[in-house]
Amino acid sequence: MKFKHVSGAGVFVFGATMLVAVTAVLVSRSPQLASSVAPTPVPHSVKRAVVYTNPPARLIPEGKALFAEDCETCHGPQAQGSSRAPNLQGLGAATVDFWVSTGRMPLADPTEQAFVKSPVLNRTQQLAVSAYVASLAPGGPAIPSVNLGATNISRGESLFAEDCAACHTITGVGDALANNVYAPSLYPATPTQIAEAIRTGPGNMPRFGPGTLSNQEVGDIVRYVTYLQHPNDRGGLGLGHVGPVAEGFVAILIGLGSLLVAGYWIGGRAG
Amino acid sequence: MSTLEERAAQAAGFADERLGVARFTRKSLNKIFPDHWSFMLGEIALYSFVVLIFTGVFLTLFFVPSSQQVIYHGSYAPLRGQRMSEAYASTLNISFNVRAGLVMRQIHHWAADVFIAAIVVHLLRIFFTGAFRKPRELNWVIGTTLLILAIVNGFIGYSLPDDLISGTGIRIAFSILLSIPVIGSYLAFFIFGSNFPGTSIIPRFYILHVLILPALIAALIGAHLAIMWHQKHTQYPGPGRTERNVVGIAFWPAYALQAGGFFFITAAVLAALGGLVQINPIWLYGPYVPYKVSYAVQPDWYMGWLDGALRLMPSWEAVFGPTIGGHMIPNVFFPAVLLPGVTFGLLFAWPWIESAVTRDRSEHNLCDRPRERPIRTSVGVGVLMFYIVLFLASATDVLANTFETSLNLVLWTLRVLLFVLPVLSGFVTYLLVREIEHLPAVGVPKTAVEIRRTVDGKFELAGLAPGGAAEEEITELPEEAARAKSGLGLPTEAEGGAVQLRQEGGLL
Amino acid sequence: MSRLRVAAARERRPLAERVAAACLAASMVGTVGLGATYWLGGQPQLEGGFLFLALAGIGVGIVTWGKYLVPQGPYVQDRPPMASPDPEVEAMNDSLGRGLGQMTRRRFLLRLLGGSVGVFAVVNLFPFLRSLGPLPGKSLFVTNWKKGSRLVTASGRVVTASDLEVGGILTVFPEGFEGAPTNAIDQVVLVRAASYDLVTKPGRETWGPQGYLAFSKVCTHAGCPVGLYQELTQQLLCPCHQSLFDVLTGATPVFGPAPRPLPQLPLYVDPQGGLRSQSGFDEPIGPGFWERGA
Repeated sequence: MKFKHVSGAGVFVFGATMLVAVTAVLVSRSPQLASSVAPTPVPHSVKRAVVYTNPPARLIPEGKALFAEDCETCHGPQAQGSSRAPNLQGLGAATVDFWVSTGRMPLADPTEQAFVKSPVLNRTQQLAVSAYVASLAPGGPAIPSVNLGATNISRGESLFAEDCAACHTITGVGDALANNVYAPSLYPATPTQIAEAIRTGPGNMPRFGPGTLSNQEVGDIVRYVTYLQHPNDRGGLGLGHVGPVAEGFVAILIGLGSLLVAGYWIGGRAG
Repeated sequence: MSTLEERAAQAAGFADERLGVARFTRKSLNKIFPDHWSFMLGEIALYSFVVLIFTGVFLTLFFVPSSQQVIYHGSYAPLRGQRMSEAYASTLNISFNVRAGLVMRQIHHWAADVFIAAIVVHLLRIFFTGAFRKPRELNWVIGTTLLILAIVNGFIGYSLPDDLISGTGIRIAFSILLSIPVIGSYLAFFIFGSNFPGTSIIPRFYILHVLILPALIAALIGAHLAIMWHQKHTQYPGPGRTERNVVGIAFWPAYALQAGGFFFITAAVLAALGGLVQINPIWLYGPYVPYKVSYAVQPDWYMGWLDGALRLMPSWEAVFGPTIGGHMIPNVFFPAVLLPGVTFGLLFAWPWIESAVTRDRSEHNLCDRPRERPIRTSVGVGVLMFYIVLFLASATDVLANTFETSLNLVLWTLRVLLFVLPVLSGFVTYLLVREIEHLPAVGVPKTAVEIRRTVDGKFELAGLAPGGAAEEEITELPEEAARAKSGLGLPTEAEGGAVQLRQEGGLL
Repeated sequence: MSRLRVAAARERRPLAERVAAACLAASMVGTVGLGATYWLGGQPQLEGGFLFLALAGIGVGIVTWGKYLVPQGPYVQDRPPMASPDPEVEAMNDSLGRGLGQMTRRRFLLRLLGGSVGVFAVVNLFPFLRSLGPLPGKSLFVTNWKKGSRLVTASGRVVTASDLEVGGILTVFPEGFEGAPTNAIDQVVLVRAASYDLVTKPGRETWGPQGYLAFSKVCTHAGCPVGLYQELTQQLLCPCHQSLFDVLTGATPVFGPAPRPLPQLPLYVDPQGGLRSQSGFDEPIGPGFWERGA
């Protein structure tokens, strides 16, 4: 009938228009035209991949005041811990900086896994709190800064697959582990935060000390994670990088679904 | 200059003088196909298979089926300098360096996913309309075999690139083979050529994937279609439709144009997916190394029910103490060998199970409406729900992560739902079907009516608007009608009691 | 047909023809675009988009043609029953029976034929299967871990007792078998759960020096590498089917489908501070199989 006739052609016109639009968007955003061709130079510079620095001591008084305000209720005045929160003494500036700079601390609800939110403290305040806690007892890593130019992305991929992908997934998107624990997505993390997490093992994450991963290796992993944050999606829409689950839904709902619509048009009587 | 018709007649004459195909060709061209959207589902599967063949042949030109370890020096920087199998390196090459290679690879993968999805919905249509009944039991068996072969070949194809995620899948496949009682360890070693992983499995999977299984699938599709052609398609009941006739459009040219067009539309949808939506980006997964693993490892969707069954299975295994030989039936045997064995066994046997229950041994060419068969429909819905829960269970981790809830909670919920939902949905379906079964208006197409208001304020029905189904005129094809009138048709159509048939046809 | 429908059809047909023509022309545009993209070096999204246009143009074009521009009937055709008339069936059975009757007169030959085909199949099946692979033998029962094997990383670095911090994890191999792509049986997950000697089970008093615990990394369920260490809860999780193993009680499964603990490798610290295995595993590693027994 007339209605179906119009709908068939209409679907085609609509589909083609959408396709052109989506294609245009994808092509304009497509990074691989440039990036996949240019080889990444493996640098032989003398620069070290990761450098650790403690925040300046002049920040300690400010940090002490902030700690009293935001942290002391749970962690105690000397960060010695309580029944509600762990002892922070001797964990180093990197530990504190990771928790505070990712917004996980201060915690909203102490019974749940801390999640990323926008940080309560500004960058100076974060460093100040880290400086204060680090000054209470020796030990633990200082705050790492990563020199991405001195790293090797391929070595990073290999190490990431061995040590990180088991929880964070090979694309870094994260996933739920057992008993209400989850491995968070690595996409919002900064290079410093990634290095801090590797070295300090926040929450349920294992700790990778210098005996397990060298500083160079930490830098290599950080380099690969920063790549995963903007990976080469040469194939088109990335579907959130969660793998076959999303692909299956697209195949069934969009692939088979659109063909069912076409079949409904073709199989119906023209009248 | 001769006309197109004359030239076609010349070519057909050439063929007929050598092969005697005039009668067959005429009958084929004049074949009548019932038209209904639900009869198009198998076609989607067929056309996806054709797309699989075309794109697959392209891929074979560049894929190297070898576990030989090489150092990668290609253009994808994040893997440069790593050790990997030639299979993986050549898949990287297809994805980055072969012109149009990635789009072909992605079309191939999407086509496989859609191929099996179409087979499944086709199977559901056949099941719920009773189109598997006599005389179509053989085609049901062939179709079920095709589903199994498609799933197996899909899994093997997914495994060929030897990336981290598919390699983990092969590892699980080895464990499943290993779990088979008595012969398991021998079978696993013979198929893999050694203990896992060995170096033989990729080349062996390759020859299965590109030759043996596709040849089997193609041959069975041929038989499936030939039987369908010979038996003539089922049709839904309706005005003028009987067990002894076929009502629809003529193969030539209407059906041929529509079906041909549908092939191109199927290929077009797959091409759009292949170009615009990324599937299986193996470069992000890295090469398979036996001690590395990624979380969120799922198989392609059609293996999901088996993966889900593996996850939901409680931690049981059968151990026979040393007094009776010291043997074990491992945990994975039950969900990964027994469950598919029972599933496909029941599927194969269903036409005979049903006819044994209903004691119906007669030939059926009119489809059932699902509402007319409350028991079959509710059993089907319940069983389908069982597999849907298993399918969802293969994404326990992704579900828990997406809905920010506990993995343990998701798993236990699905374990309970696996048994509750099938019973519940089957029961609700049964009630619903019984409810609508005898309603006279169900399934009758709505037609427009014209209502007039008379001068004295009353309403009256002015009559049916044009386009009602009742007006449909059903005729024979003009040439066939002419043959029948001239007496040519009757003697040749006489096989199978055409005379008696014509009397039934008097219903028209 | 009513007058209305005839009028509608007259109006519709030219439109359908125009639509079909436009679709076929669009297809040509798509194909040219595809060719140009390919010529210029290729781009996956453009290739897919143009291929869609090329194929969908033809598809929608000829469906429109076949649906609106040629007669749709409905036409009817007779459908004879599948079964042949009785005389045909009888004739077939007569012929079948005639041949079989002629053969069963030589019953001895018939049996011998069956025997020879059977022997051929059975005797040839075994060598065919056997050439596919070796017999499993004892290979599912053993690994390359021996008494005194040094623990090394995938790259071959020797692991010492000072390498891991508490809460650390490392994948290790017996020295000489590290990280080979064909080696899946020797992988061991080494965790450091505390700074003092850990006892996971009675009889394993000396197996966990300085908090170091080593377990086979091959899951006892379906063989995946058990790579996830939830450090606070002291649990190892298998990524494939979410079996959860409690590290402190000897990797006993506490959740999910795994039926058996991960086998524990007994460790000791040598005088140089290096970690070594006291012996191999005391049970077969990995998933179950028929010959395994308990």
